[in-house]
Amino acid sequence: MENLNLIATKYTPSIDLNTNGIFSIVGKSYPENTFEFYEPMMQWLKKYFSNNTPEKTSVNMEIIYFNSSSSKLFFDFFDLLEENREEHNIEINWIYDADNESSEEAGQDFIEDFEDLTINLVTK
Amino acid sequence: MNIYDIQSLVEEDGIIFLSYGGFLSQTLISGMTEALEAESINNNISLGISNNIFTVFIEISQNMMNYSKDINPDDLNTKSHGLMMVTKDAEKNYYIHSQNVISLDDKLKVEEKIADIKSLDKEGIKKKYRELRRNGRELHDKGAGIGFYEIAKRSDEIDCIFKKINEDRFYLHLKIKIVTQK
Repeated sequence: MENLNLIATKYTPSIDLNTNGIFSIVGKSYPENTFEFYEPMMQWLKKYFSNNTPEKTSVNMEIIYFNSSSSKLFFDFFDLLEENREEHNIEINWIYDADNESSEEAGQDFIEDFEDLTINLVTK
Repeated sequence: MNIYDIQSLVEEDGIIFLSYGGFLSQTLISGMTEALEAESINNNISLGISNNIFTVFIEISQNMMNYSKDINPDDLNTKSHGLMMVTKDAEKNYYIHSQNVISLDDKLKVEEKIADIKSLDKEGIKKKYRELRRNGRELHDKGAGIGFYEIAKRSDEIDCIFKKINEDRFYLHLKIKIVTQK
C-alpha cells in the first residue's frame, strides 16, 4: 500500500497519510465539492485499517479555517477513526494557534462528540 | 439594488472594502477571502474572530454559487451569480452582505432555518449544529445542510429579507454582523 500525499491549495489542506502510521492534514479547508475532494483520503483510510497497521496511528490536524461541509467531513473522519479504535492505537492532535479560539472550540466539540477517541488539544 | 442603496448602506454601515457583483467561482471566492485575510491582519483582528469573518463569507458565497437561480422561473439551471459586499462601521463591526436570486423551494428552506435560529440562543445554536452534523439529516450532495447554523454560530446578528420577483423567484438579501471589539 502506498502513501497518500496531496499538496495544499488556497482552499484545500495538504494531506499526508503515511503507512508508518503518521498522518497530517494541514491548511484551510473549503473545497467547492468537499465530499468529492476528501473521497481519496477516506478510501485510503478504509484500506489502511483493513491491512496490518503499525502499532500506533498518530493524526496531526491543523486546520486554520473550514466551511460547514468540511466540518461534516471531519466528523465522518473521526467517526471512521472511532470505529477502528479497538484494534488500533489511535491518537489525534488537534493543533491550533493559541489565540484562535474558534479552532479551539471546534476541537473541544470533537472531543465531546467522540468520547472514546484520544483527541489532544495542542497549541502552537 | 441601485447606486442610492449602496450610498445609504455606506452611510449606515461605514466603509466598504470588498464588493463584487457577477458570476462566482471557487477561485474568485478564494481570492476575496485572501483580501479579507489582509484586511484582518491590517486591523489586528484576533485570529478567532477573523476566522469567523472568513467562514461566514465562504458559507454565503458558496451558497450563492450552489443555489442562485435565473430570474426567469422556466430556467431551472443554477446561475452562480450575485452580489457580495463586506463593510465595517465606526465601532469596527463587520457586515457581510449578499444578494442573489433563489427559487421558492429554497426560500422556504432558508426561512425555516432562519426562524429556527432566531428561536435559539447561542448555546442552543451550537447544540443544534452538532446535532445536525452528527445525524446528517440535512446532508445532500452539495453540502452538509448546516451552513446557516455555521453562520449563526460565528456571527452576532443575522438579517434576512426576501423580495418577490415572480411566483417562483425571490431576491435573498442577507446581512450578517460580526462584532470584533468585545
